[in-house]
Formats: sequence, C-alpha cells, structure tokens
Amino acid sequence: MSTVVKNQLRVCLLSVKYNIMREMLNKVTFLTNIIFMMLNNAAFLIQWAILFRLKEDIGGYTLREVMLLWALSASSYGLAHLLFARAFSLSDLIINGKLDSYLVQPKNVLLGIITSSTSTSSIGDLLYGLVILCVFCFSFRNLVLFLLFTITGATILTSYALFMGSLSFWFVRADLFGNNLVNGMINFSTYPDGIFKGVVKFILYLIIPTGMSIYLPIHLMQDFHWGQLFLLLGFMTLLLAIAVFSFYRGLKRYTSSNLMGART
Amino acid sequence: MRKYVVIYRSVIMENLQYALNIAMGFITYFMIIFVMIQLWNTIYDTPDNLIAGYSRIQMIWYVMLTETIWFGTRTATVTRQVTSDIKAGNIACLMNKPYHYPLYILTKYTGEWSIALPIYALLAAIAGILMVGGLPGFRPLTFFAAVPSFLLGVTIHGVFKLCISLFSFWIEDSNPFQWIYDKVILVIGTLFPAEIFPAAIQPFLKLTPIYTVCYGPAKLLVDFSMDKYLEILAAQILYLGLGVSLMFLLYRKGAKKLYVNGG
Repeated sequence: MSTVVKNQLRVCLLSVKYNIMREMLNKVTFLTNIIFMMLNNAAFLIQWAILFRLKEDIGGYTLREVMLLWALSASSYGLAHLLFARAFSLSDLIINGKLDSYLVQPKNVLLGIITSSTSTSSIGDLLYGLVILCVFCFSFRNLVLFLLFTITGATILTSYALFMGSLSFWFVRADLFGNNLVNGMINFSTYPDGIFKGVVKFILYLIIPTGMSIYLPIHLMQDFHWGQLFLLLGFMTLLLAIAVFSFYRGLKRYTSSNLMGART
Repeated sequence: MRKYVVIYRSVIMENLQYALNIAMGFITYFMIIFVMIQLWNTIYDTPDNLIAGYSRIQMIWYVMLTETIWFGTRTATVTRQVTSDIKAGNIACLMNKPYHYPLYILTKYTGEWSIALPIYALLAAIAGILMVGGLPGFRPLTFFAAVPSFLLGVTIHGVFKLCISLFSFWIEDSNPFQWIYDKVILVIGTLFPAEIFPAAIQPFLKLTPIYTVCYGPAKLLVDFSMDKYLEILAAQILYLGLGVSLMFLLYRKGAKKLYVNGG
C-alpha cells in the first residue's frame, strides 16, 4: 500500500516538475511572470496604505494583520495554482469531454488531472506571501504556522474548486456559477473578517469557506488554540472528502466527446 | 467603414446568445461590491461624515460605477486573443484580411462591451438602489451628459490594453504588463476617487489613464459640474488620440518584425 502511495506521489511531483520545466523553456517570460505577479500583488499595498490613513483600525485589523492576511491569501492561492492548477479549470475539461486521455492512464485519475498543469505566476504569489511575512511579522513560530496554514489554505481552496468544477458533471452552466464562487472566495480572503457581520460571517465560514482557509488561521497566528486547529484540520479533511467523492460520483456520468488527444 | 459595421453587428449578434452567461458574471461583481460596501460602512463612522468631499453613499456609488466599467469591458479580445494571435503566428493570416487588424480587434471589443456594459449597468443600478439607496442629487440629464464620457473611457481602456498586447511582437507574453496596468487602474482608479490621494500626487494622476478611463466618467455621475465635464472630455479626446497613434505605431513596427516559418 505504502509503495503505491509513494509511487503516486512520485508521479505527481514529476508531473509538477515537468510542468515547471516546460514553462521555463523561455526564461525571460518565466521570470517576468513571477516578478510581475509579485509587483501586481504589491499594488494593493497602496490600497491599504490609503485606507489606514483614513482609519487606524479596520474591522479589528491593523496594517500588520492585513499584511498577514494578504500574505496567507497569496501563498495559499500560489501553492494551490502551482501544484493543482487544473482543478480550477476542471469544468472546462468536463464540458468539452476532454477527460479521456486522463482516464486511460494507469495512475490515479483525479491526481493525474489536477497536477497536469501549472501556473507560472503562482510562484510569484507564493514568494510574495513569504516576503510579506518576513517584512511585517517574522518569527520562527509565525513561519512554521504560516507554512502549515499555507498548506491547509491551498487544500481548502483546491477542494472547493474541485467540488465546484465537479458540479459540471450534473448541471449546465455550473462552470459559471462555480467560477464565480471560487473567485468570490479569493476576493473575500483579502479583506478583514471584522467588516462582515451576522449571516455573512456564517456564509464565509461554511458556504464560501474563506473563513476556514484564511480568517481562522490568521486568528490562530494571533492567539493559538489547539481546539481551533483541530477544527480547521477536520473541516479541511471533510471538504476534501466531499470534493473527491463528488468528482468520482460525477465521473460515472461523464461522456466523452471522442476528441483525439494524447498526453506524453 | 462598412466592413467594421458588419463586424460590429455580427459580434453583437454572437454575444446576444451569451447574455445569460454575461449576467451570471454579475455574481462576482456583486460579491466585490458587497465587500466594498461593508468596508466603507466600517470606515465612515457616521453616514453624514465626508471623506475627500464624498459622502458614504457617493463613495459607494463611485466604486460601483468604476467597477461597472471594469466588469463591463472585461474581455479576452484585446488581451489574450491578440497575444495568442501573435504568439501562435495566426496574425500572419489575419493581417492579410481586408481589414486593419487593430481596428478589427477594437471593433470586436466594442461589440462585446456593447452587450456586457448595459447588462452590468442595469444590474448594478438595481443592486445599488436596493443596497444603499439612490445617488443623492442625481438627475437624468447628468446621466445623458456623462454617456459620451463613459463611451470615450471604455474605448481608451480598450486601446491601451490593445497597445500592451501588441508588445507580444517583442516579448512572448505581454500578460505581466496587463496585470500591472490592470492593478494600477483597479487599485488607484477604481477603488478610490482621485481626491482621496495626497494633494501632491493628484496632478500626476491626471496624466495617467486612470483619470480618463474610470475617475472621469464616474465623477461626472456622482458629482457633476460643467467645468469638470469639459476638462474630462478634453482629456479623454487627447488621450484617445495619443492612444490610437501609439496603437498604429506599435502595430506597424511590430508587423515588420514578423517572419514566416512556412507550414
């Protein structure tokens, strides 16, 4: 069993490695993508500098906490798109009947699909998060927690995208609906949760799980509780299980469009 | 000219088929506006408070209007399509067609926003009235006066995005430059009116596309004045002239760099 898992992981890592190597064929474009994505994220420093000039405390967050929020959002997004970029365009593969070439491979179908592409610019997001952490709130404890929450955040984001993408097996236009909710999750993750009240907070923790991927980890980095950490890990596992289950359940309904294609 | 009218009409007909898909994109718009409303509600201590001369409702409407321009003109035609045509070599076939390639792309872009922008504007107006109430002091005459400014703004936006895409003649992927342009427009122009920036920076903002693409049209609807109207229209006409000249120049220079590999 452990050999099978080890082999599968090796295949996934090789897939990501070759994706990155393919992107690196043009080194100038590769580096431009990374550097400009970091600059792109840094542009939002202007937004927050202006907002904090108007008010020192926004929804219980100071500039330091907002930067931590941004760092974690960027890193989680970056890691998810670096390793599992195809999970975010799964509905396109389903709608256009392009899953055939993945189905005939002798390894895990789901992992084969989601690791089959990489977004170069996501490396910039990942690095940006680490740079911001180092500049605004570096400590060994923060670094360890940050890396852990980057992994949990990326897993929750990928699971959510996978679940939304899998809805295309059942519903027409589920791709539009799903993309909107995944974009919404990313959008909400860069604003303090203190500005949201009542039922919206409930939605942000359970329906659009930004609360679990970003807000709760930020609170844990401020004030650590083992109970909340286990709650976060439990939620992540449950969402991942739902996403995987819905994908395989939906796969039974998949119909090919007889496209000729090969993956090498 | 007639051929561009035919292209425009066919793009309109094509996009009308996807009107529902466009309207579905409003979910993301709504979520962004919802966040901005919560944010400004937190920042404004009292509803009567003024920040940079804007009341809370005016500030929210300003953001809604600029975001409407942003979402209504979101199309891959002036960005991904041009970059892909150049990268993949498709441009070699397209430049031989009986139209000028950048003008063809601009016509297609215009056809696309002609459907998307009114849909977003209508849905945004309904959402805005329901969530924050009507815009104080709004008169229908102001709306009709601001329409030319909106049309010029979205056209300038398309021309500048197309110019950036034409960089692909020299660098393989112009997307990173699009991100920077987008973020400058989004962060500086869309989220805040120019008056919120320190006084020393404001004159420089007038020299950027921000002033003509988003600040100008939105400002006219939120807080109309004849002086501002003439100033913004003059700046937009000047900017459009410069942008179109730059577009022709980049295309001419870039097309000379093309070589055919056969196939």
